[in-house]
Formats: sequence, structure tokens, C-alpha cells
Amino acid sequence: MSSSNPTLVFMSSDGVEITVDRDVAERSLLIKNMLEDLGETGEAIPIPNVNEAVLKKVIEWCAHHKNDPASTGDDDDSRRKTTDIDEWDQKFMQVDQEMLFEIILAANYLDIKGLLDVGCKTVANMIKGKSPEEIRKTFNIQNDFTPEEEDQIRRENEWAEE
Amino acid sequence: MAPSLMPQAPHKDDLEQTWAFLEKGIDSVMLKLEEGVDMKTYMALYTAVHNFCTSQKAVSNGQGLQAHRGAHLLGEELYKLLGHYLSSHLGNVFKESQSHTDEALLAFYIREWVRYTTAAKYINHLFRYLNRHWVKREIDEGKKNVFDVYTLHLVKWKDDFFLQVHKKVMDAVLNLVEKQRNGETIEQSQIKSIVDSFVSLGLDESDSTKSTLEVYRYYFEKPFIAATRAYYENESRRFVSENSVVEYMKKAEARLGEEKARVGLYLHPDISKHLTDTCLDVLVTNHSEVLREEFQVLLDNERQEDLARMYRLLSRIKEGLDPLRIKFETHVRKAGLVAVEKVATDDSFEPKMYVDALLQVHTRYQSLVNEAFNGESEFVRSLDNACREFVNRNKICAASSTKSPELLAKYTDSLLKKGSKAAEETELEEMLVQIMTVFKYIEDKDVFQKFYSKMLAKRLVHVSSVSDDAETSMISKLKEACGFEYTNKLQRMFQDIQISKDLNASYKDWQVKVLDDDDRKKLVDSHFQILGTGFWPLQAPSTDFLAPPEIVKTAERFQSFYFDKHNGRKLTWLWQLCKGEIKANYIKTTKVPYTFQVSTFQMAILLLFNETDTLNYEDIQKSTSLAPEILEPNLGILLKAKVLTINQEGSKPGPGTSYSLNYNFKNKKIKVNLNIQIKSEQKVESDDTHKTVEEDRKLLLQSAIVRIMKSRKKMKHVQLVQEVIQQVKSRFPPKIPDIKKNIEALMEKDYIERLDGDEIAYIA
Repeated sequence: MSSSNPTLVFMSSDGVEITVDRDVAERSLLIKNMLEDLGETGEAIPIPNVNEAVLKKVIEWCAHHKNDPASTGDDDDSRRKTTDIDEWDQKFMQVDQEMLFEIILAANYLDIKGLLDVGCKTVANMIKGKSPEEIRKTFNIQNDFTPEEEDQIRRENEWAEE
Repeated sequence: MAPSLMPQAPHKDDLEQTWAFLEKGIDSVMLKLEEGVDMKTYMALYTAVHNFCTSQKAVSNGQGLQAHRGAHLLGEELYKLLGHYLSSHLGNVFKESQSHTDEALLAFYIREWVRYTTAAKYINHLFRYLNRHWVKREIDEGKKNVFDVYTLHLVKWKDDFFLQVHKKVMDAVLNLVEKQRNGETIEQSQIKSIVDSFVSLGLDESDSTKSTLEVYRYYFEKPFIAATRAYYENESRRFVSENSVVEYMKKAEARLGEEKARVGLYLHPDISKHLTDTCLDVLVTNHSEVLREEFQVLLDNERQEDLARMYRLLSRIKEGLDPLRIKFETHVRKAGLVAVEKVATDDSFEPKMYVDALLQVHTRYQSLVNEAFNGESEFVRSLDNACREFVNRNKICAASSTKSPELLAKYTDSLLKKGSKAAEETELEEMLVQIMTVFKYIEDKDVFQKFYSKMLAKRLVHVSSVSDDAETSMISKLKEACGFEYTNKLQRMFQDIQISKDLNASYKDWQVKVLDDDDRKKLVDSHFQILGTGFWPLQAPSTDFLAPPEIVKTAERFQSFYFDKHNGRKLTWLWQLCKGEIKANYIKTTKVPYTFQVSTFQMAILLLFNETDTLNYEDIQKSTSLAPEILEPNLGILLKAKVLTINQEGSKPGPGTSYSLNYNFKNKKIKVNLNIQIKSEQKVESDDTHKTVEEDRKLLLQSAIVRIMKSRKKMKHVQLVQEVIQQVKSRFPPKIPDIKKNIEALMEKDYIERLDGDEIAYIA
């Protein structure tokens, strides 16, 4: 690379161009693979599934984590199993629910493993220790089970309760 | 079709639309990648896969059955369609391939392979969402035959193309290799690419992230090895029938080198051992008989380089060298025997000639072992065996096996005696080292020791050693080879001489104090050596002797000095070894009188002539007491030197003869040596030595038997015999009947007794 800090341009789904440092952008495996396959063309990279607000949020996370060691795949299972989230990420995830889900979807789409993990852990922490009714309330879910179905599920899951 | 601005994204719920969109994209990656893929299309294709896999639609397909399996993942349809697409693409590739053969086919295969695997990498990235979710789930659930998208490409290539063409491809490869073996230049990189492709197709069924070499081994290595075998079987058969064995060896060695290089150039290292083994089998093992038959010819003609080549070749196959070692051993033994026979044709050969002959053979074949056979220990052993045989059992040893040690000891003596030709110290040392080479092979080391100590004694007594350093060096070599016990007496003899030097010095001091003027006038200049009885191989004189009064006084004076120092010791005068110088003042023809170097016996005879000019035999005998067998030869020497003349011309010394002093004696030298060894003495000495060897062996055997029995207490007869052989074989090879005889002798002396059941016990 010629310049010390090469940049790319993202084009969000709502047509806004955002300049990103290349090493930040490459936290996304999708972008990394694409650059590897096509090389850098200089044109804006269309991100058809993510709007400006979410994309900016995602880029913020990537910038903060740009020096994290690259994910090594499945062998970091133990780290994934805990629901501990570091302080910066906790603060970062203090957003409204809609934004939270948008971030998770974007991370999944852009293939940013670390961000996807943090997002999912955040949701998991929101569920932990809650009754089904509380959960439904939290996420504004309509109960679409019939009483019989609900009964059957409870029976099947009896082993998991005290 | 020209790339559109922003490709029309398919509806995410619509499989047909989605696939149609993807297929078009894949087509351009697969077939027109060189035209490039634009970024928008790339992103659109990825997004289409993502969107299809995240759509809600297909949930309804599974209904209740899958409801509790957790989130249902979409993608199976895409995966299957992609598989179909690849199959049909490869079908086309196969059709096209049929019009190619040989190198064109290889070029085609490689071109298609590169295109296909490059595309596979792209498509794998585009379908990464499918890999991450649906494929991963299927594999986690243990489904066989589901692979990540890249691996799917390889599997399809193998099943739908490779399996149809591998034979034709290999035929082309093998043709090419054969061309190269025939000396043509070929495009090696083609084969390398084919090897890489075959290796890539080796997928571990149980874990697609791992690869195995199975495909490569089965479809490449196997036919390659078979073709190699056939090629070299054919070539070597033809070559051997048309060329000499020597030429064939060069060819085989070159071929082995080429095949080894071939692995590095374009084959997979996995084939290395198999290929080498095959070549060795065909090129060496199959022709080993012919090679070995040539061995004798090469030995006879001393073709060192060819022998080395044969060694290198046969050393690489199992048990390839054993027959050579046997032939080599026989050959060296024969060479040794022939060399000895040549020496033996001359009856009066010098010990040097004999030892040189032995050494020459050894040196020649030792250098052959080092140069041609890499100094390999088994060949060294064969050489040693052969040398041991011809050193101990040859024509010269035929009469007596102890001839070799005797001659070796004599040769050593000739080197260590003053006046030897090897003047240079380093040269002498080198020759001593060579003597040790022969010594190592001597079986009767005790015989060598006997002769050596006799001759050392003479050198020391007569002060005729070339140097003390050389003597010490030789003794320490023997000690190194045979241990302290072997050289103990030799070392003591050496010490006695050093001690005697000091003794003479203090005797001189003592004389200064004790002698009066009269004594001093009659003083005889003298030197004494005190030799410990047990260490020196010397005997008291075999004849009576009345020492002349002139030296009796001196001898007695020394004796009293010595007894003063060492009370209770016994001194025996070894007159036969003494010598002196006398001046012939009676001869007036020269200004400086002649000096005669004489033995004590000669001195006693000559001094009698101080009183009278003529004496008869009986007078001389009476005055000296010498036995006739000593007296007569000594008179003979004096007559021959014309110091005395016999008055009965033509007679030999004996009773009834008389002798006169020759006043007209003449000689070129002022110092005349009359102290010459009498021939008959030499022969007697040698016979004596052999006799004492037999006696000593008996003692050695008996002491070994007693030593063993003392520590073991009880032992089987057979074991005892074995043990004795072990203990004494470093000195001489004992004969079993001799051991048995000595066991019997010790039983008679009640050292040991026979128990029941062939057992022998020690009697304390």
C-alpha cells in the first residue's frame, strides 16, 4: 500500500458514502475476501443490506477492535460460552432494541464474528433469569401458542426446571 | 452481456429467481473470470445468497417435525443446485477433453484445473454465508457428503471429471517421463502441476479440512512405480547383455541418481522411498548375481574405483555385501599366502623380508577397505580374519606355528640394535608401529614375548640398543596391546640397567676411598651390571671357568662392595656374557698398540700368553677350565683372526695341538673385534626358546585353571575348558588336549578333584 493509512468508501443501502480505514473495514470477512478476490478498484463498495446509521455504528465497533487478534474460528468456544462482555462493548450496546437487532443482522451479513458474538451475548443477557411472560414483554412478542401446545412444551422441558 | 450498473437483485423468497441470478454470476466467474467481475455484481451475489438463506419462507416446508430442532437453516436447495451446476460444467469439460491426448491433454487438464480452482475460491467466498450456517450445521450434525463449497468443487472434480480421465492423463505423464528417461527434454512443470492437482484431490472423508495422499498414491504413485519398474527391467536387461558389468554399474549408479533428482524436480516427496526401493530392486537386486561374479575379477585387477562402485550399489540392498565379504576374505588370505611363499623360496631369507611381505599385503588391502569399502567395519573384520590366517598359517609356519612370532621378534631386534638402517627416529617409530600391526594378528604372542625378551636382554647387556627412547616406545606399545603382565619383565630388565648405572657410580666413589696405591696400579677399568634372576631370560654359564687372576681381584672387590650394600644376596657371574678389551703391547709393528675386543673366555686364553709364547691345548684347558665345546670354537676364532697360530698346520683345535702368539699380526683397524657369536650357539638358543615356551604354556594353563577353580569352587569340565581358553587366548591358542592334560596334572597334585557328573571341585 502506498499511503500509511489507506481508506475505502462504503455506500450504505440508503445511498450515503462513508470513508473507512482499510484495516478497520477488513474486520468484515466479506470485505476482506472481496478485496482479496477483486483487488481495490477505488469505487464505492455497495453494502446493500445496511443503512447509514447502522453502518456507522458497525464501523465504530470495528475501529475500536481493529487491533484485536483475528478470530481463529471454532477453537474460541470457551470465550463464546461466557456471557461476559467487556465494558466498552457493554456501553456500545446500550442502544434501543431495534438498533441492537440491526447491528446483529449487519454483523451476521458482513461476517464480523466478534461483533456478532457481542450482540448475541447482549440479547442473551436480556433473557437470562426471565420468565417466558417477561421475555415476551421485553421483546414485545405475541404469544401464538395454543394452551395445549404450551402444555406440551412445558412437559418436554420439565427436566430443565428445578 | 455487458455488466449492468446495479444487477437486479432477485426476490429473496424466490428460489428460481435467486438461482437464475446466481447461476449467471457463477458462469461469469467460472468461464469469463479473465474479463473480471465487478464489485457490484460480487456484492450482489453474496447478498443474494445471504438473503435467500435468511428468508422466512422455507420454514413452512418442514412443518411440525422440525419445529423443535431450533432455528431452521435454509440453503440446501442452493447447495444442490450448485452441485448440479458443477457436474454439468465438468461434463462439458470432459467432453472437450476427449479430443486431446498426450501433452495436449496435460495442457488442457492443467488449464481447466487452474480455471476451476480459481473460480472455486471465488465461489467459496460468495457462498460463505451458506458455508457458515447451513453447511456448518449439516456437518456438525454428522451428515456425510456435505462439504464446504470449496471442497464441494474438489469432490465434484474428482467424481465427475478426474475419474473419467485419470488413466489417459497418467498415460500422458508416463509417456513424458519415458521421453525424459530416454534423454529428451520435457516440460517438467506440467508433471508437477498434475502431481499437485492429484494431491489436492486427496480428501479425508471424515474431516474435509484435512487432506490425505490416498488419491495421489492410488492414481499417480502406483502407475508411476509400475512404469518405472517396467522401464528399468527392460533397459537393464538389454544393457547387461550388451555391455560389461563395469559399464552397467556406472549406468545403474547414474540411473539411481537421476531418479533421486527426479523426486526433487517434479514429484511429491512421498514417492521417494518407494521409487528408490523399486529402482534398487530392478537395477541392483535383480542383477546382484552378475555384479558379485565380477567382484573377483575386479579384485584380481585391483580396480579400486569399480570396487567402490560395486560396494556403493550392493550396500544399498539387503544382505547385498555378505557374499563379497566372504570372497574378499578368501582373496586376501590367498594373497598373503602367495606373498609368503615367494619369500620362502629363498632359504636364507631375512626376517625383514618375511615381515615386509606380510605388511605389504595388509597395507594394500587395508587401503582398499578404506578407499573402496568406506572402511566399513564388516570388511575390516574380514580383512582381520584373513590376515590372522595367513600370518599364523603359511608355508614358513608349516613346520612350526611359532615361526611367525620368532621372525617378527628377530626383525624387531634388527631394528632396535645399533647399526640398523633406519637411522631417522621418526622412521624407526613408524616401523615399530607396523610391527605392531603384524603383532596384532600373531596368535602365539607368548612366543614373541620369549624371543623378544631374550633379544632385549642381549641388547641391554651388550649396550647395543639404538636408543632408550625406541626401547621404551616398543615396550609401551606391547603393554598397550597385551597389558601390564605381558611387559612386566621387560620393564624390570630395563630398570635393572638404569639401577646398575647408579651402582657403578657409587662403586667408583667407594674405590677412591678404599684403594691403596698398589691396588690402583693394578686396577682394571670395569663396569658391572646387576640383573635380577627372575626377570632376565639368562642362564648361568654352561661351562666351568677359571677367570684370569687379572680380573678375579676386580670381581672380588666389587663383590665385597655389593654384599656390603645388600647383605645376603647371591651373585652369579655370567661369564659367557662378559667382555673386555686387551692391548697387544707385544706387537711392535704399529706405534699405537692393537686393542682386541674379546669375550672373557677369549681374554682368559690370551692372557695365558703373557707368560709364554707357546701353549698346548691341554695347558690352556687346564688353566681356564673351559669345556671343549666352548674352548675349541674360541680358539678357532683366534686362529682365524691370526692372533694365534696353530703349530700343527691344517689341524682343527683339539687335544694334542699347540698354539703360538703371532708377533706379525696385522690388521687395518687398531681396534679388532674378536667377540663374534659362535654359530652353534644361535641355533641352540632358538631351540631352547621354543622349549621354554612349551614349559611356560604348561604353567600358564595350570595357573589359569587354579585361578578359575579358586573363584568358582565347582565347575563342569566343559565349562572349565572354555573358560581357560578365554583366559589364555590373548597369549596363545591353547589346544584342548593340553588343557585336559593339565587338569589331570592338577588333580594328581590335589589342587582339584573330580566329582560325580563331570564336575570338578577346588580343594582348598
